[in-house]
Amino acid sequence: MRQSARDILRRYDKAFPLKHAGEIYTDTTDIVRIDYGDVIELGGLNYLVLRDEIERRFGVEDVKYWVKRCRCLETKQSKILKLVFHETFPQKFGDAEILCYRSEQKEARILDLVRGDRRFMQGFAVKDAAGNLVRVLDVIRGKRLDLTVEDIEADHKTYFHEHLPDLLRNWAGACRAIASLHARGEKHGDIRRDHLWIDYASGDYIWIDFDYTYDAVENPYGLDILGLGNSLVFLAGKGDLIAGAIAETFGERVLAGLCPEDFSLFFHNRLVNLRKVFPYIPESLNNVLMHFAAASDVFYESIDELLGELMPAVEDIKRA
Amino acid sequence: MDPKKILIAVDASENAKRAAAYVARVVGATPGFRVILLTLERPPERDLFKDDDSHRQACEARERGMLAAQDEIKHILTQGGVPAASIDAHYVASCKSPMAEGAEKCGLGQSIALEILGYAKEQGCGTVVVGRRGVSKAEEFLFGSVSSKIVHSAKNCTVWVIS
Repeated sequence: MRQSARDILRRYDKAFPLKHAGEIYTDTTDIVRIDYGDVIELGGLNYLVLRDEIERRFGVEDVKYWVKRCRCLETKQSKILKLVFHETFPQKFGDAEILCYRSEQKEARILDLVRGDRRFMQGFAVKDAAGNLVRVLDVIRGKRLDLTVEDIEADHKTYFHEHLPDLLRNWAGACRAIASLHARGEKHGDIRRDHLWIDYASGDYIWIDFDYTYDAVENPYGLDILGLGNSLVFLAGKGDLIAGAIAETFGERVLAGLCPEDFSLFFHNRLVNLRKVFPYIPESLNNVLMHFAAASDVFYESIDELLGELMPAVEDIKRA
Repeated sequence: MDPKKILIAVDASENAKRAAAYVARVVGATPGFRVILLTLERPPERDLFKDDDSHRQACEARERGMLAAQDEIKHILTQGGVPAASIDAHYVASCKSPMAEGAEKCGLGQSIALEILGYAKEQGCGTVVVGRRGVSKAEEFLFGSVSSKIVHSAKNCTVWVIS
């Protein structure tokens, strides 16, 4: 006779309140139905579902119904299970539109490619009974890079001289991780500052969430490079400098000195020409940032090009 | 490299037709010219599809479209006076595509522009012709520009950019 979720939980997790025991799922197609107290049977192991993961960005919480925080009942390890969720949508970047789509097979392939590489989240993919390719991921005990930066208690000048050089050296290591994907014909697909985590114990910078991909034949890594550029501007500015807030923070005179070409090519309200508000930013570093500004006619085609200019600029910070 | 051996990079776009029409106006029936139409397959990404079959079907449909476009461009050239015997049409499948199975040669797909220039060099074409899409800066950043890259990367040949 087939076991119930109650039976499995009674056997493996005596502390779990059985009144909350749900169903056993071997087919994870109905992602919204699978919830707290359910057990996902996958690859010979049983995963207790604890909750849906929530993404917090720009003050908004977004529930990711296809991403379940779980506990493996046999090993007691916390795991994240990413179920299959197909999304295809056009995404606008400035006046450019790019078709993005979510691919579980891409993420599974990259998980295999980066196995043992501490610069990337670790896990494996296994098919459920219905053929859905579920990714079982190790939980990262750490903090997002962007929150780490925002939580540094220092004015910008102090942050810039005392914290940023080491941050940028570590961030450059994370960039080289992405370059290693590009060298193997793969892209991350969703480079954002909240997709880079810092492990508490090791201090490793770890990329997560590489299930997005996009179609851009002549410049297949352009979107990844854009993501890195946005992150770099964020790091250099200790946050995004948004047009609306600049007058309040720096005064009307500073705002009046800015023009559209000083802002991002893609996000027209984000200041990129940071030297205009932070004059101690070396020209060499500002030049790197300006490759992502509306003023630019020259763009980085590879991460090597970006790092080739960034790393000498980091040394200029120390001398400033 | 023979400047009278002209390679036109073609796809299904209006830019490619404009490029062909321009070549026809310049070359016409003048003897000594050879025109090579080069179409490089740009298959849709496999990750966009549920399975190999649907990916293959999409690649086949795209190939049919590209070959039909190539025929249309041949027609533009012959209507413009270029003798049919002076025109060769080449189609190179992408190594990443199921259409490349069994092909002697396939495109690596890393850079369309560099593959065009490489092919031109192989064929001894001293003139490369490409249509220009007229992309915005944001589009050029994200998608690249084949015509810009050809202009920047070309060596020992002449490049005509038709816009």
